[in-house]
Amino acid sequence: MMSFARFSLTSATARLWRAGVLAMSAVIAGPALAAACLEAEPEAMEWLRKMSHSAHAVSYRGVVTFQRGDDMQVMQIAHSVEDGSASESMTRLTGQGAQVLRVDHPLECIHPGHKLLQLGIDRESGACGIAEHYRIEVGDGERIAGRDAVRITIQPRDVYRYGYVMELDSETALLLKVTTLDKGARVLERFQFADLSYEQREHTAAPVDTVHMADHPAPSPPSVESNSGDGWELKWLPRGFMATDSPAGTDDRRTYTDGLAVFSVFLEPLRGKIKPGEGMARQGSTTSYTRGMTLGGAPVLVTVIGEVPVNTARMVADSVSRLQ
Amino acid sequence: MSEKLRESLSAMMDDEANELELERVLSKIDQDDALREAWSRYHGARDVLAGQPAGFGNIDISRSVSAALAAEQSSGRGRWQRMMRPVASFAVAASVTATVVLGGQQLAQLSEGGGSAVPTVASNASPVGFINSTGARPLQASMGYSSAVPALSPATRTAYSELARQRMTEYSQEHAEQAALNSPQGLIPFARVPEITE
Repeated sequence: MMSFARFSLTSATARLWRAGVLAMSAVIAGPALAAACLEAEPEAMEWLRKMSHSAHAVSYRGVVTFQRGDDMQVMQIAHSVEDGSASESMTRLTGQGAQVLRVDHPLECIHPGHKLLQLGIDRESGACGIAEHYRIEVGDGERIAGRDAVRITIQPRDVYRYGYVMELDSETALLLKVTTLDKGARVLERFQFADLSYEQREHTAAPVDTVHMADHPAPSPPSVESNSGDGWELKWLPRGFMATDSPAGTDDRRTYTDGLAVFSVFLEPLRGKIKPGEGMARQGSTTSYTRGMTLGGAPVLVTVIGEVPVNTARMVADSVSRLQ
Repeated sequence: MSEKLRESLSAMMDDEANELELERVLSKIDQDDALREAWSRYHGARDVLAGQPAGFGNIDISRSVSAALAAEQSSGRGRWQRMMRPVASFAVAASVTATVVLGGQQLAQLSEGGGSAVPTVASNASPVGFINSTGARPLQASMGYSSAVPALSPATRTAYSELARQRMTEYSQEHAEQAALNSPQGLIPFARVPEITE
């Protein structure tokens, strides 16, 4: 309501106008959404914005543990910023001897997931970024890797996403620990720093057999047109999810993010008939849902993979349609 | 071949194998000659009992599928070619668990798969083509955009679960690429990839 106070119209006109706007916003966003933004904590949103910024702009290195059920991996993480661009690496210290590298990632290159995190609250437009879909609170954190942390508790407002407890470095807002929880508050996955340093010293390099150079798709929206002429679309997306950047010509995979959760939809054309059916597999917070179906008369296998509940994956797969 | 494997194989022949037993046999059938021989033998015996002409049991399906897979792996690395691999090994799974659908003709087709003729779902023999006796039921929480998922027989369910599991492995790196750029954890999403490849 407060946002309308700045209009200096005659009171009668103002009332009418206000009623109209309110009615419209009720149609567009629904009352629940407006309420969500009204209760969004500016402090929490500011921490998330800083976290997203630090993820790119701060130089650090350390050792991270990653747990799913009984399985624990240990990794070395390094992130360094020089001349306006970031280079980062992840080296597995347990299991497979593999490393992922991303070099010269320009700091001004912000991908859709981080754009969503940095939106913050815009009282005037009534938008509040991810706070529309999550209840976000700030509290006192633990001590992680020798650093004092601020705790951000993130609870989903609907059934389409998981919840998170994040611990951010109280000085740099760097993300030190994330626990992913399902709606029964069961822990699905957890990663945390065991050791962290903001100094630019070199780690003893762990020998690896495999080095993967991480992809960097051009920041452009996915093309609607398909090469093969049999394009497809999703008739339904959980609220707040948007498409990520994909290289032009990618038509067999699309990825969506709400800033925290990410899922990808893969479409595989089959050359022969398949009995319709569905199957799913889960590991930690990752769901894989596969559906055999017919799309525009052609048999396809649709697979949704992501850190979302099974029901979300299923509903997304269910909404895959032939582009009209 | 261990006694446990033999029991699992026997359960499969009676269509009574559970998921664990199915996996046990599938993980070994590539390397275990005795297991493959037993499989052929049981198969022949069963066909005779069922009044079908014996003979398919002599076709060493898993070996020819393996050969086809090896040829395929060395020839192309395109996405679809890569994708054929799980489907093909899945076809082996289906043919081992149930001869219900993969009848003689399809078996023969599969066994012809030398070189480029990789047996896949494309060979008209659906790997999940088991008989659906219970009819269709509407999908829970369906948005109504596509057709309902039929109720699945236990064998079909196992087959589809296997597909979902294989796809998770196959697609995880491509998904992680996107997750790494669009979620707050930086490169950590790659930790979810079972085997990082170049």
